Amino acid sequence: MEHPILFISIILEKLGLPVPHDFVGHTLLEKLCEPYMTYTWLVMIFLIVVSKMTLGNLEMVPGSGQNFWEILIGGMDDFFVENMGREMADALFPMLSTFALYIAVGNLIGLIPGLMSPTSSINTTLALTIIVWATHHVIGLRAHGLKYYKHFMGPLWWLVPLMLPIELISNIARLVSLSVRLFGNIMAKETLLAILFMLAGAFFAPLPIMMLGVLVSLVQAMVFVLLAVVYCAQAQEHAH
Amino acid sequence: MSDLKNEMIDLLANYGHIGFTFVACIFVGLGGGILLDQKVFNGRTAPWFTFIGLAFGIVAGFKTLLQILWRVKDKNDKNNKNDGKDDRG
Repeated sequence: MEHPILFISIILEKLGLPVPHDFVGHTLLEKLCEPYMTYTWLVMIFLIVVSKMTLGNLEMVPGSGQNFWEILIGGMDDFFVENMGREMADALFPMLSTFALYIAVGNLIGLIPGLMSPTSSINTTLALTIIVWATHHVIGLRAHGLKYYKHFMGPLWWLVPLMLPIELISNIARLVSLSVRLFGNIMAKETLLAILFMLAGAFFAPLPIMMLGVLVSLVQAMVFVLLAVVYCAQAQEHAH
Repeated sequence: MSDLKNEMIDLLANYGHIGFTFVACIFVGLGGGILLDQKVFNGRTAPWFTFIGLAFGIVAGFKTLLQILWRVKDKNDKNNKNDGKDDRG
């Protein structure tokens, strides 16, 4: 429909596997063959293979591959430390940097014809968001115990009936806004590109949108990680 | 990366999600109100919880809006203070 050609889906269909034509399949095998699942695996394989190839043997004097990763990892580490302190950055670095790399690569492969972004499905983004949301509650609970939930009640006791719903709504809204923002931006980019390809693909009409798509992909990956960092830092320092 | 690009990405990351968060708050409040009206009280209390939920959602939206602004302001103040100290020191 939106994606005329998805090469993994075509290969799987030729192999005789049931690729669902709706957004979600019905049987387990159909669910596993959904395009966003197969492309998630493609991104995972891509990240593992590339890092294995460039970081297979670490050297004192880095080559170009190792250099790239050192700049990237160093930059992300600085960013996390600046926003939430050394200790938490060390604890959360594996999770957050994996999110950053996965979302950035997942957004960007959608620009190549024949591939789609796994993040253009709400299932993927909601899964990522639930992990972040649960993590920031766990961090808050571990840092403050049950006192963490006191900050949901506001500063004064007679304000509790007013503050409690507001805080609960704004906390649940994080779940909605974080997942729908990423999903909406990437899906819009994919749909717009597909439509422009169909209408005027021969005249390079999608090219300007592709340039914007690169910007949107990187910014959305950054926003997602920035907000995850901010939520975790807030949960840690809340409830004084 | 040039300064201009840095600043643009900084602005996009800090303020680009304000609109979405605001709308999400309103819809969560409204959805909660409708849920209370239709599912919990089986429509006996309609439209009251819907309106109350909507009001709370709007207030929650403004609260998150202010929180975002204050967070960025605090961060900028801290940076400015540090810069000033560096100059004097």
